[in-house]
Amino acid sequence: MREDDKKGDAMSTTTELTISRIFDAPPELVYRAFADADQIGQWFGPVGYTVPFESVTSDAEVGGHQRLVMVNDDDPTDRSTIDMTFTEVVENELLAGHQDVQGIPGTTGTERFHLRLEFHAEPGGKTRLELRQGGFREPLGDGAAEGWESSFTRLDSLLRRSL
Amino acid sequence: MAADQLSVIFAALADPTRRAILARLAVGDATVTELAEPFSISLPAISRHLKVLEKAGLISRSRSGQWRSSTLQAAPLGEATAWMEQYRRFWDVSFDRLDAHLRRVQQHRAGQAPSGDGTAP
Repeated sequence: MREDDKKGDAMSTTTELTISRIFDAPPELVYRAFADADQIGQWFGPVGYTVPFESVTSDAEVGGHQRLVMVNDDDPTDRSTIDMTFTEVVENELLAGHQDVQGIPGTTGTERFHLRLEFHAEPGGKTRLELRQGGFREPLGDGAAEGWESSFTRLDSLLRRSL
Repeated sequence: MAADQLSVIFAALADPTRRAILARLAVGDATVTELAEPFSISLPAISRHLKVLEKAGLISRSRSGQWRSSTLQAAPLGEATAWMEQYRRFWDVSFDRLDAHLRRVQQHRAGQAPSGDGTAP
């Protein structure tokens, strides 16, 4: 392993979630399951949550948005709103951008994540999905420290809830 | 791990110079002079960053001879990432549902294919 890779790994463990997963369907189908408004709501979110069909809009092009609401089946007041802004789109290959998420349990206000989804063709008509999600905004300057501080406050309350 | 300690860890990680120091220590132990090399800041400033990292438990410092070297402590970094696991679980569950969704989509397409072929000239 090159030294640069080791450095990258050390830092990515603190700031990024990466998931690699194989789906038994070709990239154009997996891509559409993410990009199409009439598909994403059918599978996105934890068990016990529903994405109302009418809450979903999706415009998978650079500068376009994908918006949806997740509602807790047992408690309709438990709702999360996700607003994804696409910054990179290559049909059947790549969806990337940032998500503004409101209503994560234990948080107030809006959390912003960056999200990158790569769709790689694999033998046998399968797809390898590579997901990278950043949990915190990068500190950009003086104002950033305050943003981090409020994130920590929310994180603290999240952790207390889970204890 | 106490939430207060996590706050200390994340506060320590919030500084780009300190993250760069951790990245350097991931490659191997280093002295203050070696750590200061890539940065245009003074040795005392680097020492202050090291104190913050040490207090957060992210590094340990040892004195061998006249050189005091710093060592990366990986365990607290693991604690700091534990919170991200809930997002991993979110995706894992969603992707299980996506598997089922893709099977339905493909069955639907397979079911439609014969009639589509039948109308072709």
